[in-house]
Amino acid sequence: MAPKLEVRDLNAWYAGRQALYDVAVDLEDRAATAVIGPSGCGKSTFLRCLNRLHEEVPGARVSGSIRMDGSDLAREHVVSVRCRVGMVFQKPNPFPNLSVFENVAAGLRLLGVRRRDELDQGVADALVHAGLWEEVEQQLDAPGTSLSGGQQQRLCIARALAVRPEVLLLDEPCSALDPIATAKVESLLARLKREYCLVVVTHNLAQARRISDRTAFFYLGKVVEVGATEELFTRPAEKLTENYVNGRFG
Amino acid sequence: MDPPAGTETSAPASRGLTRRRARLLRWAGAAFRSVTTVVALGLVALLAGLVVFLLRGAEPSIVRFGPGFLSGTAWDVPQGIFGALPPLEGTLITSGLALLLAVPIALGVALFASEMAPRWLRGPVGYVIDLGAAVPSVVYGFWAIVVLVPFLSGTIEPGVARLTGGVGPFAGPPRGTDLLAAGLILAIMIVPTIAALAREALRSVPRDLREAALGVGATRWEATRLAVLGPAAPGLVGAVILGFARAIGETIAVALVIGNEYQLPSSLFSRGVTIPSWIVNAFSESYGITLSSLYELAALLLVVSVAINLGARLLIGRWERRRGRGHRWRRGTSGLATGTTAPGSGAPRPWFAAVIAARARRLRRRRVVQALVLALVVGAVALAAWPLASVIGTAVANGGRAVVTPSFYTSEPPPPCGIGQAVCPVGGIGPEIQGTFIMVGLAAAVALPAGLLAGIYLAEYARRRVGTLMGLVVDVLLGVPTILIGVFVFSAFLTYDRLDDQSAFAGAAALAVLMLPIVAKSTELALRTVPETVREGALALGFPRHRVTLRVVLGSCRSALVTGLLLAIMRAAGETAAVLFTAGSSVYWATNLRTPIGAIAPFIYDALTVYTSSNYGVAAWGAALVLLLMMAAVTLAARLAVRRTDAQRGT
Ligand SMILES: Nc1ncnc2c1ncn2[C@@H]1O[C@H](COP(=O)(O)OP(=O)(O)O)[C@@H](O)[C@H]1O
Ligand SMILES: [Mg+2]
Repeated sequence: MAPKLEVRDLNAWYAGRQALYDVAVDLEDRAATAVIGPSGCGKSTFLRCLNRLHEEVPGARVSGSIRMDGSDLAREHVVSVRCRVGMVFQKPNPFPNLSVFENVAAGLRLLGVRRRDELDQGVADALVHAGLWEEVEQQLDAPGTSLSGGQQQRLCIARALAVRPEVLLLDEPCSALDPIATAKVESLLARLKREYCLVVVTHNLAQARRISDRTAFFYLGKVVEVGATEELFTRPAEKLTENYVNGRFG
Repeated sequence: MDPPAGTETSAPASRGLTRRRARLLRWAGAAFRSVTTVVALGLVALLAGLVVFLLRGAEPSIVRFGPGFLSGTAWDVPQGIFGALPPLEGTLITSGLALLLAVPIALGVALFASEMAPRWLRGPVGYVIDLGAAVPSVVYGFWAIVVLVPFLSGTIEPGVARLTGGVGPFAGPPRGTDLLAAGLILAIMIVPTIAALAREALRSVPRDLREAALGVGATRWEATRLAVLGPAAPGLVGAVILGFARAIGETIAVALVIGNEYQLPSSLFSRGVTIPSWIVNAFSESYGITLSSLYELAALLLVVSVAINLGARLLIGRWERRRGRGHRWRRGTSGLATGTTAPGSGAPRPWFAAVIAARARRLRRRRVVQALVLALVVGAVALAAWPLASVIGTAVANGGRAVVTPSFYTSEPPPPCGIGQAVCPVGGIGPEIQGTFIMVGLAAAVALPAGLLAGIYLAEYARRRVGTLMGLVVDVLLGVPTILIGVFVFSAFLTYDRLDDQSAFAGAAALAVLMLPIVAKSTELALRTVPETVREGALALGFPRHRVTLRVVLGSCRSALVTGLLLAIMRAAGETAAVLFTAGSSVYWATNLRTPIGAIAPFIYDALTVYTSSNYGVAAWGAALVLLLMMAAVTLAARLAVRRTDAQRGT
């Protein structure tokens, strides 16, 4: 099967400093790809290139090609790219002045959904999808920021899911959460990967192993190795990967 | 951070201090704390003094006229009958008009500078906004007389009168010096003030909220609407209110263009007065009950500006608290209105296919909206840029020659030039530069250290209640119109009717009062940006509290502190109203600080009002350009300092 996203020769810079070097990765549809590597190695930068958020950073630059279903993302309008490639950030960031309901409805409203019943359905579906419905059913009017940290993160996932993206990017979605909330998000991801192309950055190797089908190991802005998760963890091709997955540095 | 000097004191507490040493340290800490507290209390005393002296001066008038003062319309010196209604109305009309015109433009400018402009342009636009806010009011006033008033009387007002039939608010002959001119110049002045504050409010919205919005597929404008305007709203309202307060207290520019006729305004084309403009016009020639009525006007102005200030604080405070608790975005969404949810199936709803199909078409529409908003915002920028560019251009055209002539900085202003004289000498503003340096220097010597200490108290020592109260006092002082500072220092330092008591010292005192709250506030804000972890880190190493403050905390926000001090000095150097009747005026080199002294900004005002018969035009424009250049340099320095801090923090 052709990959959902094909990344080739991807280079990215921050104000003159290069953060990614010739990255080439295929990201499969209906599968979760974990991106691992020590901090500062360019995982977030890579993810932010995939929905073109990287261009929003002052002084940032990018080169290379990213193809989704065979067509170049750089050719598409940036807004449409971001509709198709959703993003969940490390720190939960619900809109503080919007209610739970409106947080999830935001993307739908941008797409032009106006009818009350459609909005209701879209929001409810997304919340159910994100496994948050039961918990917030009674607080749809409360501000998004009044939820607990784990709930806020799942709210952000629901917000991204509401517009039914084709790819969902998650940048260390659990690093700000406690173990119970983490478990909930993990089981959610396990469910979502059957329907989406998931790309999950994580510094938690056990988590990468639990939730992903494929894993890409980044080091100093380069992809050292990418392959099936079990393979990469048990029989890494590269010495560097072996050292990293066995916790010998990091 | 550098280790504290003296090995004994720097030893971590665990190694133990000699008992004497520990006592000494405790004593030093307590002493430092008391000093900051006393200085901060000095600010309270200052505010109290301001109120007391204004009321003391106003007492005869209050006793004589009672509440009737508010509704009286006369300013009859021979009969001794005074009423405040004309300037009250004039103040409200001109400030209201200014606000109406300035708010949309200023918000547009702020949106451009913070959200919509290409990134490389945002910094320069921010600089120009700051520069516009720093241009002294006397320079705006001078420009208004030379450019705005003729433009109004020659083009705008006749045109408006023709269009509207010259009735209602547009009745009367087009003079150019009227309420409309005052309202316009106020609008021009508060656009950068509001824009600068609004830009800060927008910029303080965290980046991750913008990215959240962009991440769900918002255009730049949609991201602003969705994620930025809401969180920034209290700050934006605060900016507008501060702009309004500035308009109400503005003195010099209004006094130069409003026509100064004590009458109830009948139209925008009629001459009028505002409270501050009337005070500055009448103050030096008034005595007895007339002077007392002026004090009562001053007290009224204080009440109005304090009320605006407190009102704004209350409003914004409540707003922010309410949001924290659970502000409803949209009523009627508790539970779902339609009850048509059949959760469980992950399949897209039937209508969603249509949404996706319409996505590209709709995106084109959204991009049109984005382009329209951008056009509006750019239009606002163009409207705001014209007056500023014209101010600078006029100053350069008329004063450029003087400014590049070395003797301009060393000569006295020229003697009067007869009508028959072929070539009038330009002279210079040497004594005025000397006077500005002397007074600003004296004021800074007092206000900078005192303001720093007060700021340290506010940020580091004040406990909750007291801190809130003190913060309020500083904010109120910041909002006091400068003309009131002039009146206050005049009445506190100088006896009635003896104008020759005006002196460099009195002028410096007024400038010190002006600078003190600015320095205190900027110090407090700078200290508050230092993360608590820095303090805790240093405390954990065994530094005593006061050393943490003095070395670690002050050190880690040095450039923000310097910026605040520079801005305070800049404000003082451009100030006219507060200096005018405290320092008096003189066009000769100062040899004695107890006699009247000239300064650059008041010189311009005098050249326009007192010395109109002489050939001061070129010298006055030269002085205006000197002020503009000073402001441009200081604003740039402040900006570079801030940029360096940002770079250090890696933001
Ligand atoms: N906004 C930025 N400006 C400049 N450099 C940045 C910025 N964000 C990240 N970097 C640099 O780019 C490199 C990669 O960062 P990042 O992608 O965030 O790493 P990771 O997510 O793997 O920890 C790091 O060296 C980091 O210092
Ligand atoms: Mg990261």
